[in-house]
Amino acid sequence: MNGGSGIWLGLLQALFILLVAPLFTGLARILRARMHSRRGPGILQDYRDIWKLMRRQEVVPSEASWVFRVAPYVILGTTLLIAMIVPVLTVRSPLAMVGDLILVVYLFTIVRFVLAAAGLDSGSGFAGVGASREMALGVLVEPVIILVLFIVALLSGSTELGTITAKVVNGDLAYHSPSFWLAALAFAIATFIEMGKLPFDLPEAEQEIQEGPLTEYSGPSLALLKWGLGVKQLVVVALFLAVFFPFGTAVTPAPGPVVLAMVAWLAKVTAIYLIVAVLENSMARFHLYRVPIVTGLVFGLSLLSLVYYALNS
Amino acid sequence: MAALQLLMLSIVLYAVGAVLSLTWSKARPLGSYVAAASTLMAALAGLGAAATVLAGGQAVAGEFPSVVPFARFSVELDALSALVLAVLSLLAAATAIYSLAFDRQFAGAGAGVLGFLNNVFILSLVLVVASANAFYFLVFWEIMTLASFFLVAYRQDREAIHAGILYFAVGHVAAAALIVSFVILFLHAGSFDFAAIRDAQLPPAVRHVVFALTLLGFGVKAGVVPFHFWLPPAYAAAPATMSALMSSKVAVYAFVRVGLDVLRVHDDRWGLFVLALGGLSALLGALYAVNENNLNRLLAYSSTENVGIMLMGIGAGMIGAATGNGVLAGLGILAGVFHLVNHAVFKGLLFLGTGAVTCRLGTASMQAMGGLIKRMPWTAAAFLTGAMAISAIPPLNGFVSEWFVYQSLFAAGASDSPLVKGVAPLAAAILALAGALAAMAFVKAFGITFTGPARGERARQASEVPGAMVAGMVVLAAGCAVLGLGAPAVGPYLARAASTVVEAAPITIRAGLAVVPGAAAGPVISTPLVALLLGVLAALAVLVAVLPGGSRSGRRVDESPWACGYAYSHRMAYTSAAFAQPLRVLFRSPYSFQVAARSLLARLEVLGTGTMRFLQRVEPVWERWLYRPVASGTLWLGRRVQSLQMGNVRVYGLYLIVALIVLLLSAAR
Repeated sequence: MNGGSGIWLGLLQALFILLVAPLFTGLARILRARMHSRRGPGILQDYRDIWKLMRRQEVVPSEASWVFRVAPYVILGTTLLIAMIVPVLTVRSPLAMVGDLILVVYLFTIVRFVLAAAGLDSGSGFAGVGASREMALGVLVEPVIILVLFIVALLSGSTELGTITAKVVNGDLAYHSPSFWLAALAFAIATFIEMGKLPFDLPEAEQEIQEGPLTEYSGPSLALLKWGLGVKQLVVVALFLAVFFPFGTAVTPAPGPVVLAMVAWLAKVTAIYLIVAVLENSMARFHLYRVPIVTGLVFGLSLLSLVYYALNS
Repeated sequence: MAALQLLMLSIVLYAVGAVLSLTWSKARPLGSYVAAASTLMAALAGLGAAATVLAGGQAVAGEFPSVVPFARFSVELDALSALVLAVLSLLAAATAIYSLAFDRQFAGAGAGVLGFLNNVFILSLVLVVASANAFYFLVFWEIMTLASFFLVAYRQDREAIHAGILYFAVGHVAAAALIVSFVILFLHAGSFDFAAIRDAQLPPAVRHVVFALTLLGFGVKAGVVPFHFWLPPAYAAAPATMSALMSSKVAVYAFVRVGLDVLRVHDDRWGLFVLALGGLSALLGALYAVNENNLNRLLAYSSTENVGIMLMGIGAGMIGAATGNGVLAGLGILAGVFHLVNHAVFKGLLFLGTGAVTCRLGTASMQAMGGLIKRMPWTAAAFLTGAMAISAIPPLNGFVSEWFVYQSLFAAGASDSPLVKGVAPLAAAILALAGALAAMAFVKAFGITFTGPARGERARQASEVPGAMVAGMVVLAAGCAVLGLGAPAVGPYLARAASTVVEAAPITIRAGLAVVPGAAAGPVISTPLVALLLGVLAALAVLVAVLPGGSRSGRRVDESPWACGYAYSHRMAYTSAAFAQPLRVLFRSPYSFQVAARSLLARLEVLGTGTMRFLQRVEPVWERWLYRPVASGTLWLGRRVQSLQMGNVRVYGLYLIVALIVLLLSAAR
């Protein structure tokens, strides 16, 4: 992929994900409501929420400094950059000349770092709890993510995301390889944790892991943050799909296949949200200190995958 | 001017600076300005020497008159030592500027001595880096240890003297290991010259023993686990400028120089061992750092973590050199050396920032800080830059070198040996874990220190430090940005430095605006583009926020954060101990806790007073399970040996006769 068209395709991807993010958070709300036997809001409710917040006045605690104020912009900007790098519509990464999957993982660290710093900056105790838990969750999940991605990268011969996607699409890397499907399973669970869903996070309780640092936000900043975290959820899913289920993506960046790829991607994401909704609503929330039971299991799966890699191929 | 002359000029100027600060310290402030100017010029001359060598691409060697007949005082600047000299000079320049204002707090309490010791310390470090002879290397190494001992014990209170003595003892364990290894090398090579040792035919067993000894010596000095225990007290006691200079981690350079370049140990088992040692240090260092509430000690533990990261790269490189994989060898050493350079810059910056905070607050305990971002905005911005760099936040420099460590592990994971294939991805996971822990530690360090409400009276009344101190920090913050964003420009020099160690052509590092791991076709990262895109996308986010018109209704500053309807107090804000609480629960075993409030007495007290005093401390696991047994074992052995000495002349005569018989028997055989 040469530079010029890559940038445009990347921007298209980022814009696409930015625009559909509230749709999927809305979808999750509806699905949860239906499973609770409630009617729930309309699917477009999150768009309305964001629009309304955007036009509100902002209230800032006196303790807060510029860190608190710039955090929403940095978080949205960073998640959009991830959306530009991950191959969503085409087999190739639009911004292969900018970075590989290690960069993507560390871009997620920016989100975490800034969110936690902003939470501490607000001076609120709840935001502090949220910040601490956000970082602790990162400690539990990040090693698994790197290990799994590393194994898949080793299987495909490069840490560049487009190369991995192309290998999976071509069938060079397939599910009959035990190390691949074990890695896929481990990464699927890690994705689920990173999405901030039950049993790891309680989206309705505002003082929980992800929403904690948001306690003191209001107005346009809150809108941007909610939107940014929605985009983050989608790019986590996009990363999973790009590495483990890239079928349906366009091989060439021509308009026709790209539109088809958009439709295919929306269908895949909807399917994932359906599965996630079922899982989420059939479980009670975990105590934070119980999360290592799950992450330990995931780490075990990825270790198995590693053993298959080291001994087999 | 040629590199060697510049190096000599720099050495002379450091010496002049040392003498001036000692003799002119009474004539304040002029004397201290002249001394600092001399140090600054020495640093610039050092930078010039390094730049000449790096730009010329040729190593320069020279010889000074020797004072002993059996060793030549030879110096050599190749790409590797020039690189370390450059970063050392940068640190020296930044601390010289910083100390103009920083040393004022020691006025009348031996500020001149501080300047003298600092200069001697830098001077000895420069000569350690430049030495090409084992004897002189050791001499300067010893001077360095002595100077830093006085600097650690400088405050002369109980804590500082204890830390100093501990440091002195540890430094001499390291020195003993090095002396033994250099003497062994001298016996086999017949010379102390590195060049002669390099060419000597050493038996494999000797090579392994000497390598183990150098690893021990330099590892102790660099503070790898399990020898990390001396770092926190030493860094907590030493003045900030000294801690910043100690962050140059010349011990790791010396390990690369002696262990890899001179000894040429090409054995993948040693590579795996160094990799494992690095992983252990990275993990435990980060784990201990998260849990510290004292900024200096937090930074000290994080040094152990970063030395671990360097060793991971170097270990991967050693595996590559042993298996004949030139790209892996080049990548691994490059990653290790790059991280050494980056660590010196961001850790130096963080120590200077901590020094600025402590000189205003009088304590390094985070429990008394908070809200300083409004009162010390420049210090806060500089500290944040360092904190983000050390947390490997792209596009700053810490991320680039960690990326290279990942890439070297990736290259190792693609090798043929099943063991290496299994270990390398695991090492990557450990690096990710250490990285996540470090990010948590530094969010905490920045967040609790600089943001939120002030937790103490002095934090409420703090003011920005003088311009000179800010300037010193800004120099290093700029260094973080330049080494990160300018990675494509800096990379080739690092590749050349790495190639001097592994005797191979420098690997390809640069592809346009990006850096690549050894081959132009493959994964890249482009820090300039990342910075540009992040800027553009964040601007887009601003635009999205501004367009609907919410910003027109303005921003109302509320009095206090929400506190469930209760009146807000700064004591409701999160503390540094609370922030790390989840980790103390999740990683119980390495910390080994004791909750003192569980004792019966404490419970009775609760009944009596109605308040519960809660005391929790991190038990020093290593001290309890490793060092205390070793110490008591040594004492026990000493007492046993002592019983030989019973004060009876006839028994001593018996010893003599027995010894004589044994000698005769062994001679007769």
